[in-house]
Amino acid sequence: MSQNSVSVTVRDVTKRFKNTKGREDIFAVRNSDFVVAPGELVTLLGPSGCGKTTTLRMIAGFELPSSGRILIGEEDVTLLPPNLRDTATVFQSYGLFPHMNVADNVAYGLRVRKLPRAEIETKVRAALGLVGLSELADRAPGRLSGGQQQRVALARSLVIEPKVLLLDEPLSNLDALLREQMRIEIRRIQKSLGITAVYVTHDRVEAMSLSDRVVVMKDGIIRQIGVPSAIYSEPDSCFVAGFVGKVAFFPVRVESAGEGGSANCTLSGKAIRAGSAAAGLKGGDEATLMARPESLRLADAGEGAVDGRVTANVYLGSSVECFVGTDYGEILVQIDDLSASRLHAEGAAVSIAFDEERVRLLPTRAD
Amino acid sequence: MLDRKKLARLALVAIAFISADTWIYSSLRGAFRSIMSDTRFKEITLFAKTAPRDAAAQADWIKGAADLLAGSRSVYLAVEASGELAVAAGDQNLAALLRTDAEQPDFKKGIDSVRYLEPFVSTKEYSLASGPGASGSGRIYFAPVPDDSGADIRGALVIFSAASETDRFDGLLLGLAVVALVIFLAIYSVLAFSRDPAMGFAILGLFAIVAAFVAYPLFEALRLTFVVKGAFSLGIWKEILTPRYLEALWGSVRLGLWTATTSTLVGFAFAFLVERSSARGKKFISTMATLPVISPPFSLTLSIILLFGNNGLISRQLLGLSHFTIYGLNGLVIVQTIGMFPIAFMTLSSVLRAIDSTVEDAALDLGASRLRTFLTITLPLAMPGVLSAWLLVFTNSLADFANPLLLSGSYRVLSTEAYMEVTGRNNLGGGAALSLLLLLPTLTAFFAQRYWITRKSYVTVTGKPSTRLTELASRPVLIGLLAFVGFCVVFIVALYGTIVAGCFVKNWGIDYSFTLSNIPEALSRGWKAIVDTVTLAAIATPIAGLLAMTAALVVVRATFFGKRLLEALIMTPFAVPGTLIGIAYILAFNKPPILLVGTAAIIVLNYVVRELPVGLETGAASLRQIDPAIEEAARDLGADTPTVFRTIVLPLIRPAFISSMSYTFVRSMTAVSAIIFLISARWYHLTVQIYNFSELLRFGWASVLATTLIIIVLAAFGLMRLLVRDEGLTEKTISQ
Repeated sequence: MSQNSVSVTVRDVTKRFKNTKGREDIFAVRNSDFVVAPGELVTLLGPSGCGKTTTLRMIAGFELPSSGRILIGEEDVTLLPPNLRDTATVFQSYGLFPHMNVADNVAYGLRVRKLPRAEIETKVRAALGLVGLSELADRAPGRLSGGQQQRVALARSLVIEPKVLLLDEPLSNLDALLREQMRIEIRRIQKSLGITAVYVTHDRVEAMSLSDRVVVMKDGIIRQIGVPSAIYSEPDSCFVAGFVGKVAFFPVRVESAGEGGSANCTLSGKAIRAGSAAAGLKGGDEATLMARPESLRLADAGEGAVDGRVTANVYLGSSVECFVGTDYGEILVQIDDLSASRLHAEGAAVSIAFDEERVRLLPTRAD
Repeated sequence: MLDRKKLARLALVAIAFISADTWIYSSLRGAFRSIMSDTRFKEITLFAKTAPRDAAAQADWIKGAADLLAGSRSVYLAVEASGELAVAAGDQNLAALLRTDAEQPDFKKGIDSVRYLEPFVSTKEYSLASGPGASGSGRIYFAPVPDDSGADIRGALVIFSAASETDRFDGLLLGLAVVALVIFLAIYSVLAFSRDPAMGFAILGLFAIVAAFVAYPLFEALRLTFVVKGAFSLGIWKEILTPRYLEALWGSVRLGLWTATTSTLVGFAFAFLVERSSARGKKFISTMATLPVISPPFSLTLSIILLFGNNGLISRQLLGLSHFTIYGLNGLVIVQTIGMFPIAFMTLSSVLRAIDSTVEDAALDLGASRLRTFLTITLPLAMPGVLSAWLLVFTNSLADFANPLLLSGSYRVLSTEAYMEVTGRNNLGGGAALSLLLLLPTLTAFFAQRYWITRKSYVTVTGKPSTRLTELASRPVLIGLLAFVGFCVVFIVALYGTIVAGCFVKNWGIDYSFTLSNIPEALSRGWKAIVDTVTLAAIATPIAGLLAMTAALVVVRATFFGKRLLEALIMTPFAVPGTLIGIAYILAFNKPPILLVGTAAIIVLNYVVRELPVGLETGAASLRQIDPAIEEAARDLGADTPTVFRTIVLPLIRPAFISSMSYTFVRSMTAVSAIIFLISARWYHLTVQIYNFSELLRFGWASVLATTLIIIVLAAFGLMRLLVRDEGLTEKTISQ
C-alpha cells in the first residue's frame, strides 16, 4: 500500500460565508497559505471556530474556497468535487455506513472503483489487518466500541490508497487512554505508508506528539507554522505560547537586543536577560516575557526576580506543580527535583527565578 | 466557479445552438408554408372550376369563397369582350387593390399565368387597406376559371388569404424552438458550472416538474377565470360572487366550523384517554381512532345512508321515522367527524405525550385540584396542539368532496358546487372560480397552522419519557370518558359492519334477504375500474416514492438559489383542495403544449404531484436524523451523487421510502376529488364507480366495491408494516 507521496498546497485561500442577518460576511478562513510536503503529517491546531476544519473540508472538496487555489501535487483541484479527488477523510463522527458490516464498509471505496472481487477481498483483508480488526469483519458498526469504529474508518480511508489522508479530529470521541494508543497507531501507519496527511485537532498534546509540523490558527488566520518544538519553545505570539502549553507572562520593557537573538529587558526595574526574542522587538518597546513552568525555579524570598507566596502544591507523580501568588497573578512553577529542600509549604514566602536561556520575549498584543 | 473561460465557452455554444435552432425553425416554417400553399392551391383551383356563368349567381358564389379560407377576401374576374380581365363580383377592397396596383409585377405575373391556366400565388405579402375585419397581411392567390373547352379561360378567381393560420403554427414552432434552447442551455450550464451535475439535474428536473404540473395548471385555472370567449372579462367572477354561490361558500365554512369543533372534541377525548389516563385497552382505542383515516371515500357515507337514509335500517325499519333526513348539514358533520377526528387524535396525542407530567405533579403538589390542574396546566400546554388539530380538520373538511357529493342533499358546499358547475353546466371557468374561492379559507387555515401555531408551541421534547403518570381524571370523569369513547368505537365498528353486511343483502331498505349474487355482479361490472385503479396507483407509487426521496435529499442537503420556492411549489398541492387541482388539470392539459386529458398519464401525474408533499416531509424528517458525514464519507471514497443516493441514502431512509410509497398507493386508490375530473372511458376509478352505484341506489354493489377497496388498502398497509418491521437494527445504529 505504498505510493508516491505528493504535496498539498493551500495557496492564499479565503472562505467567506454570507451572513444572513448582518451586512458583513463572516470569514471562516482568511488568506491561508501553506504547503504540506510529500509524506509529511501537518496538524492544523486551534480553538474551535478557528477555521481548521473548514480548511480541511476545502482540501477534501466539501467546501469551495471563496478565493485562492488548492493543489494536490501539481494538479489544481480547487473546483474538483470530493469523489474525483485523491483524498480520503477520517471524520470526527466516523461516518460509518450503519447498514453495512465492517468488511463492506471498508470495501465501499473499492466497489465504487469497480475493482475485481478477488482484489477487493485481498485489499480489505490487508487493511483490516493493518488496523488490527481482522476478527470483526462481519460485525455491524453499531456493535463496535468507539476505538474499533475509529479503526474501521481509518481502514476504509486507507484501503483506497489515497494520495492524501485527511483526519478531522478523529480521536475526540475516544477516552484518554485509547486516544493515546490510537495516536501512536495513526502515526505508525502514516509513517509506514509514507502518506501525506493533514490532521485537524484542538488538542495541543495530540498536535505536538503526532506532527512533523504544526499550523496554529485563530479566527481564520494562520498564526504560526513550525515544527512542534519550535511552536512550543519559540512561539511568535502570546496566543500561540498560551495555546500550545502552560505559560506565565510578565509585562516588561525591552532595553536592548543582545547577541545571538537574545535580548535584555526590565521587569519592574529588575534587569532580565531573555534567551530569545520574537522578531521586530527593539529597545524601548513594551513587551511580554513568556516563561514555561519548567523554565522557572523557586528561590528563597528576595533572591529571585519575582516575589510571592506559595498558594498550592499539586503532586503529579514525576513532578510537582507549585502555584505562586505574585503581583503578576498566579504563576505556575514546575519542580522536577522532588527532594524536600526544593519544596515549599503552602503560604511560604518564595521568589521565582528565571532560567534565562529558556525565557522568551514576545510582542504584547491584545489577542 | 464562474471563470471567464467557461463563460466564453458557454457563449460560443449558445451561439452555435441558437443558429442551429434558428435554421431548423426557419426551414420547418418554410416547409410548412409551402405545404399549406400547395393544399390551398388545390382547394382554390377546384373551387374556381365551380364558377357559375350567370352574373347574378357569381355574386353569391364569390361569397362562398370566403368560407374556403378563414379571413379571406375574394373577387371574380371575368374575361370581357376585349379579352381583358376585369372585376365582375366580390370584395371591394381587394378589387381596389388590384386596380391600383395593377402594374405590380406580382399581379401581372398572376394574370399572365392564369391566362395559361396556371394558378399563381403572390411572392410578396399585401395588406388590405381597410374594410370590416381588415385582417392584416396575407398573400394573394390567382386561379383560372377554365371554359368548357378546357383550353382557355372564361375568368379568374383572386383570393386574398390572411396569414393568421400559418402564424399560429409559427407561434407553436417558435415556442418549441425557444423551449429547446432553454432546456439545452440549462443542461449545458449545469454540466459546465456545477461541481455536482447529478444534483444539478435533480434540482432542474424537480423545478421542471413542479413548474409544469403545479404552477402552470394553477396559473391557467386562475387566468381562465378572467377569460370569456378569448377576451379578458370579469364576467365569471361577477357571476360567482352572487348570493347563490356565496351561500355555498358559507355552507363550506359552516360545515368546516362544526366538523373541526366536534372532531377536535372527540379527538381530544380519545387522545386524553390514551396518553393521559390509566385506562386499559389503550392500544385498541388508538387503533380504532386511527382506522377511519384510511377508510375509502364514500364508504362511511354509504353506511350512514344504509343506516339512517330515507330507507335506512335504523331510521326507517327500527325507529319508523318518516320525516327524518340524514341528508344535509347534520349528516355531513357526523360523517366528517368520524372520518376526520383521527387527524385531531393523532395531532393531540403526540402533543399530550410530549407534555412532561412532572409539571402536572408540581401543580397538584402545590395544592391545585385535579380539575384546576387540568384547566390551568394541561389544557394551556396542549392549546397550540388543539388549535393546530382544529385547523387541520377545518382544512380537510373544506376540501372534502366525496361526503358532500353523496350526502349534502339540498345543503350546498363549494367543492360539489364546483363539480356541478363543470359537469352539469360545462362551465369550466366557473368551476375554477368556485374552487379558487375555496382556497381562501383553506389557505388561511393552512398558513395559520404552519407558521403561527407551530411557533407558539410550548412543548419541548426532552427525549425523557415520563415513567409514571398521575391520574388527572377522577373516577366518574374517567368512566364518562370511557363510555363516550366506547360509544364512538361501537359506532365506527357498526359503520364498517354495515358496509360488509350491505354486500350480502338483496335490496337494502326493501328486501333484507341474504344473497351472494351482489359479489359476482359488482365485481364483473366494476372489474375494469378495479384493474385501472390498481394499475395506475401501482405505476404512480414507485415514481412518487423515488421523486419524494430525491426531493428530500435536495431540500435537506443541497444549497441553491430558489430552494424555498422549490419547496413551496412542491408543498402547494398539500394545501390546495383536490377539486381545484382536478379542474386546473383539465383546463391546462386539454390543449397544446401539454395535451394529456383522457390519458393515463394525467392521472398518474396527478397522483404523483399530490402525494409528493407528504413523501418529501417524511423523507426529509428521516434524512435530518442521519449524520451528513455518512454521505460525505461515501462521496469522499469516490462515489458520485447517484451512487451515494442508491447505496447510502436510500437504504438508510428505507422506512420513510416504503411508508411514503404505501401512503401514495393508498391515497391513489382512495382518491376522488381531483380524479373525478380526470377519468375517462379509457381509464376509470374505483371510487367513482362506487359513487355511480350509490347514485343508482345499487347499494349492494357499492358495498362490495367499498369492501374490496378497504381490503386492498388494509393489505397495502399490512405489507408496509411487514417490510419496515426488520428495520429496527438499522435505525438504532444511524443515531450512534
